Amino acid sequence: MPVLRIEQLTKSYGKINAVDNLNLVIEKGNVYGLLGPNGSGKTTTLGIILDILRQDSGTYEWFDGQYGERARVHIGAILETPNFYPYLTAGENLEIVRQIKGASSVNIDELLDLVNLAHRKKSAFRTYSLGMKQRLAIAATMIGDPQVLIFDEPTNGLDPEGIAEVRNILSRIASLGNTVIMASHILDEVEKICSHVTIIKKGKLLATGPVGAILSNDITVEINSDNQEQLISALSDRQYINSIVPKKDWVELLIDESTDIKVLSKDIYEMGIIPTRLVARKKRLEEEFLEITKNA
Amino acid sequence: MSILSLLFLEYTKFKKNAVVSLLSLMFVIMLPTVIFIGKEFENVPPPLPNNEVFFTFPMVWDYLGYAGNWLVFFFLGLISVFIVVNEIGYKTFRQNIIIGMTRKDYFLGKVYSIIAISFCAALYYGVIAFLIGITHTEDWSMSQAFDNSWAISRFFLMSLGYMSFGLFSGFLIRRSGVAVLFYLCYILMLEAILKWAVHFRFFNNESINFYPSNCIEDLMPLPLYRFADLIPKKDIDFNFLLEYSHAAMGTSFWITVFLGFSYYSFMRRDM
Repeated sequence: MPVLRIEQLTKSYGKINAVDNLNLVIEKGNVYGLLGPNGSGKTTTLGIILDILRQDSGTYEWFDGQYGERARVHIGAILETPNFYPYLTAGENLEIVRQIKGASSVNIDELLDLVNLAHRKKSAFRTYSLGMKQRLAIAATMIGDPQVLIFDEPTNGLDPEGIAEVRNILSRIASLGNTVIMASHILDEVEKICSHVTIIKKGKLLATGPVGAILSNDITVEINSDNQEQLISALSDRQYINSIVPKKDWVELLIDESTDIKVLSKDIYEMGIIPTRLVARKKRLEEEFLEITKNA
Repeated sequence: MSILSLLFLEYTKFKKNAVVSLLSLMFVIMLPTVIFIGKEFENVPPPLPNNEVFFTFPMVWDYLGYAGNWLVFFFLGLISVFIVVNEIGYKTFRQNIIIGMTRKDYFLGKVYSIIAISFCAALYYGVIAFLIGITHTEDWSMSQAFDNSWAISRFFLMSLGYMSFGLFSGFLIRRSGVAVLFYLCYILMLEAILKWAVHFRFFNNESINFYPSNCIEDLMPLPLYRFADLIPKKDIDFNFLLEYSHAAMGTSFWITVFLGFSYYSFMRRDM
């Protein structure tokens, strides 16, 4: 069942098309990574579906229209920076969220404990570090038992410790079976947490689907020998090699999924080349992302 | 969301806000105290017998109302600007919508707040005027005390007028410093310039009185203005003080315009 259906959504800022005729369906229970370079329209799209930006044309509908204009009560979202009342404490800020959501009973202590903020419950929000603010925002998204969670660059601006903490929390949330939409630059993060990816650039949808379907099945091989030129020349006529890209410390080969890596090992052995490096791995999301967005 | 839950939400948001608390406190302290400055002026112009008349029924309603006019304009009006621009500055207005409030509910929360504050302010004014009246008037009676009690309704409408203009300034301009400056400058200067430098050149008649700030002010004018003969009418051939009923109608019209435009703008603009 789709939780969100976006149809022909368009939004411009002057001559710039931030979102251009975007169509997208978000299915229940999946964890989506929303990917795109800076200025690709990710935040604008999220802003429109969260009703803080007005689209020029097109429509979107949450939960098949089941909750009408109160649909966002069933969504937990962080858009850009965490926004709270700076003079109120964590507990008071979460109480405001509870009132708006109309949630009858919320165990605020338990929520703060989940994000490691229980000890700062009575501190004013303005005294928090960026990482603590972000964690409080994550706690706020959990109020009212949301059916969908939206995170926009959740680890932006955090130090390595903060990133690790937020990533752990997100992994836990994702594993609970909620529908999650996460916009992020950090593709490693998306690859680890998300089941699906949606790639947009210049406001247009480039690709969407399960991570496995987006990633091609080709195998990337990192290989090197004492004489890189000889290695490249020897491998250039092999049919099962789709591409050869010389890198600084090795040569990167893309070979068919059906090809056994032993075939390559045997070939170079028979050519009398001694490999100093040989690593075979699946193609990374980052590589796929760069390829998809390169010519779009 | 219900009216009560919207009001309670606004209270939760601002009960610890330093600016709003300070402005409220100043209003509460100054309304009953500021009129006693009048005691310092022992020589009052005829036809007033002495300065005690300001503190007795029915004049106390007008005199305290006029003092309240300035205090509401400044303290309560600024509260209404702050409850909008503060949230815009902190981006909590966006967050409230993201969390699940409808834009309409958010707007109504602000409108109910200014209605509730105006109601409390008018009630407070009524109590203070009554207490000052009974402690200064000899042989007072209930009918004499409430002879001018429509003043409470006028005070309410006046407060709502100023605060609607405050909301309008906040929603229209959004930047806190500029919105406050616009609110103060319009009422203190811009309207007077528009009236006397522009309008007066084309229409030398009573229509000049129907500017927003003028309508609101005339609900609680300086009591001496009622003695219109004191004022020389050299260049104008109309009464420059509106009848209460006209001022009330004008204020109601402007409240509708301010709130209507704020709503229209808030519903359409990006946040």
